[in-house]
Amino acid sequence: MSDDRETVEAALEDDETALEDDETAQDEIEAADDEIESAQDEIESALEAVASEPSYCTYTEYREGIEVADLPATGADAEGVEAAVFEQLYGVEDPEMPISVVDLGLIYDVSVVDGHATVTMTLTYTGCPARDYLQEDVRLAAARAEGVDTAEVELVWSPEWSLEMVTEAGKADLREFGVSV
Amino acid sequence: MSPDRSTDAPEPGSLGGPDDLDDETRTAVEAELRCLADDDFVVAERYTEWQVRGPTLEADIGIGNIAQDELGHARLWYDLLEDFGHDETDLVWEADPGDFRHATLVELPFETGDWADCVVRSYLYDHYEELRLEALRESSYPRIVDRVGKVLGEEPYHREHAENWLERLAEDAGGRRRLQEALDRLYPHALTLFEPTDQEDAIVALGIRREPLDVLREEWRAIVVPVLAGLGLEVPEGDDADLLPDARGRDGTHTDAWEPLFHEFTHTYHDLGREEAVSLMPDPDEADV
Repeated sequence: MSDDRETVEAALEDDETALEDDETAQDEIEAADDEIESAQDEIESALEAVASEPSYCTYTEYREGIEVADLPATGADAEGVEAAVFEQLYGVEDPEMPISVVDLGLIYDVSVVDGHATVTMTLTYTGCPARDYLQEDVRLAAARAEGVDTAEVELVWSPEWSLEMVTEAGKADLREFGVSV
Repeated sequence: MSPDRSTDAPEPGSLGGPDDLDDETRTAVEAELRCLADDDFVVAERYTEWQVRGPTLEADIGIGNIAQDELGHARLWYDLLEDFGHDETDLVWEADPGDFRHATLVELPFETGDWADCVVRSYLYDHYEELRLEALRESSYPRIVDRVGKVLGEEPYHREHAENWLERLAEDAGGRRRLQEALDRLYPHALTLFEPTDQEDAIVALGIRREPLDVLREEWRAIVVPVLAGLGLEVPEGDDADLLPDARGRDGTHTDAWEPLFHEFTHTYHDLGREEAVSLMPDPDEADV
């Protein structure tokens, strides 16, 4: 009988220990909840700060040049609105030769965010007399794409354009025109 | 590495964009850009005078092409000045002639009918240009780094063109005499290419350009003097201080040739009653789509 009693007491003690353990665990959970909440507050205030900053400026940070191996951008992997922009850009021809600006390798990037398209492009050489004209053609073409409300062109000079940037389709166009490439 | 090179200067491309610069840095960047832009713009203005007067049709096309490149380069450098809030109207068309910071070499008129003048000028200028642009490849100002490679890539044939003509003209005594006269006349003005602006110390200390101009001048001399001597020409000797003309260009002082040239290329702008540079295309910020 005394054995039984000891067993019961021991079991009771175990229960108490277990209860204490439970309480500690609960405290820990509450502390973790507090941490999550304060992290959420931080995220929210950071988001508010971002939203109240002045409009995006393309020059605020220096980006290392785009990798030459990834150029030119031809839209082969583009989807949705960006693919639609590329489709329009294929319709813009170089003023001197019957080749699209995409196949000539002038387009380095297309991105569309909330209906605003940014086309990053270069020109074959700095003295291009059609600089304003081509940029405007490209901008208008991008703006015509389904899903685009506004468009801008960012002109870059690095990486430098070279004949290597001309696509295979572009080389075929040039050969047909009589330029050997 | 040159011992003069500032080793504490900021890393290549580390200065940030035009809105990130403090006033001191911005002033230094602008001073460097102004020299680059004005040199290219004014040298091209002069080259175009030869465009229909070269000794052969191919020479016309060659110099016309070089002028077009230099105008293209001027536009790239003026673009960067426009980042700071300037525009083409105030940088060129309505600028005061004294705002220009080009070296006096590029503003001088050509001796009438003297193709040798054009050839010697181009030779001296294009070698200077290569050295200065190379010293900008690792500029701390990223917008310069972004375009200097493209500009340098378009320069080698300018030097080849000048050297090719130098050799051709040096083949006979008459040609050599005209080259020598041009060299005597132009060399002191070529030295003004290396004259500092009042921002020179800041430009080097801030790593905007990696070599000071006096180091570049010695590198330039080491290239051009042996070549010219090899063609049987005598390069004027003496201290630079004695050779240099009174007007230095880089400090806003210019020869008497500058104002007439300035008025010539701004004449049509004023004649048409313009108040701003007219764009063929809408300003991207004002376009409707």
